[in-house]
Amino acid sequence: MSEPVLSLEGVSVEIGGRKLVENVSFTLGAGELVALIGPNGAGKTTLLRAILGELRFSGHIHLHGKIGYVPQRLAFDRSLPMTVLEFLALSVQRRPLALGVAARVRQSVGAMLERVGGASLLHKPLGGLSGGELQRVLLASALERKPALLLLDEPAAGVDIEGEAAFNELILREVREHQCAAILVSHDLSVVADMTDRVLCINRVLMCEGKADDLLTAETIARVFGGHKAVYDHHRPVPHVHEHGHDHRHEH
Amino acid sequence: MPEIITGYFTVGWQQIVLLNVLCVAVASGALSPLIVSNRMGFFSDAIAHSTLAGVALGLLLGINPVTSMIGAGIVVALLIAAMRQRSGLSVDALLGVALAGSLAVGVILYHYASGFADMHAYLFGRLTFLDGGDLIAVGGAGLLSLIVVGLYSNQFALLAVSRPLARSRGVKAARYDFVLIVLLGLVVSVCVRAVGLLLVNALMIIPAATSKNFARSYRGMCWGAMIVSVLASVGGLFLGGAFSIPEGPAMVVLGVALFMVSYFWRMAGHGPGDV
Repeated sequence: MSEPVLSLEGVSVEIGGRKLVENVSFTLGAGELVALIGPNGAGKTTLLRAILGELRFSGHIHLHGKIGYVPQRLAFDRSLPMTVLEFLALSVQRRPLALGVAARVRQSVGAMLERVGGASLLHKPLGGLSGGELQRVLLASALERKPALLLLDEPAAGVDIEGEAAFNELILREVREHQCAAILVSHDLSVVADMTDRVLCINRVLMCEGKADDLLTAETIARVFGGHKAVYDHHRPVPHVHEHGHDHRHEH
Repeated sequence: MPEIITGYFTVGWQQIVLLNVLCVAVASGALSPLIVSNRMGFFSDAIAHSTLAGVALGLLLGINPVTSMIGAGIVVALLIAAMRQRSGLSVDALLGVALAGSLAVGVILYHYASGFADMHAYLFGRLTFLDGGDLIAVGGAGLLSLIVVGLYSNQFALLAVSRPLARSRGVKAARYDFVLIVLLGLVVSVCVRAVGLLLVNALMIIPAATSKNFARSYRGMCWGAMIVSVLASVGGLFLGGAFSIPEGPAMVVLGVALFMVSYFWRMAGHGPGDV
């Protein structure tokens, strides 16, 4: 691997006296797609926000290049009149939107939307998009910055299963073709196993790291998810895990 | 056309009033989309209510009341912003306290400063008393609003869509909040002279609230807000003259009428989300 795009050394995040992320270290190279999995409240989004520079952290984060960020379920005022073109132009042109979108920007935005299979969305109102359409627009917006690192926070949450598969394929293609690194936050283990190079399991601390197939054992899942997770995998036989208490666990 | 209306184009003092109103309309028309889309309406209301305390304080301390009014507006708005950021309290509760509190303090201070000026003028404005000095103030506020909108409206628009997304693009949310609050403090305080502290917020909200129902793009909303603002302000001024009714309230009533038209337009299925 050449010089890593992202490297974390002993990163901890503490908010209000509570350690949400503790001593996390890993590196990520160009063209590599890793999944960040863990139960709710495990610090996945917190870690992303530290990488984004939004939260204070201890330790070191080295990043080479820009970040493209696709947030989890963008909550926004859907009655705000704004076309997809305007939304995508917002962060790339200095000219105020009230004076229109520059021809150059219109062209590049159109090309970017086409790349993510959303060419028809250009003049649609942002507030009228379906969940899947909105995710494509957000991905286009993230890619527009020519990022070295893509951060995707459960990007397909709220999208149907087929839409999610198509969206994930799109992400994978972008990562491979444009050699950017990507972190995909997910709680869907089956999706993660199929598409990512490496899986990072986090539950405040980094519990384990490795190839999906090696990691997705009942024991690891129980350890990361604290055992309250039953896994139903459509693609491969992963054992179901149940746990009745913190110390006592058994597998079916 | 009644003489009082033609007078706005021919008689010196009336021309100055018309220019004042146009500047107020431009300032509020430019800021309205930022206020409405970033949900800052309560802020401008709290600023407006704090101006009475500012004026009274100025009178008591013997300093220029316009200066102390602008100062009070900005200080109260910054206090609210800081309290919100530190405590995580909900904005409506904080603003409710600030709004009532600053008005009550204002009335008490005014009680001590009474005899200096007419409280009615501060509550409802004295449009036709606006003079050359006011024109410099509202003209400056209008120009500053246009400059800020010209420089930063895209950042404000991105913040309006999603603050986390904006932050990930390097838009410092707290910095832009600060800029907008200070600008609001300035513009609202200056406009209070025209329509009074009880009605000034209508000028800040109605233009974009109305154009938002008609527009299908952000660009449309911005220009629409400017058109609604100018129509309501100048129209209200003329209506007031023609029917001998107070001009400030006439502006607001006209603005509300335009808003209702946009509301029914939207309800009839023509709104931006219904494409």
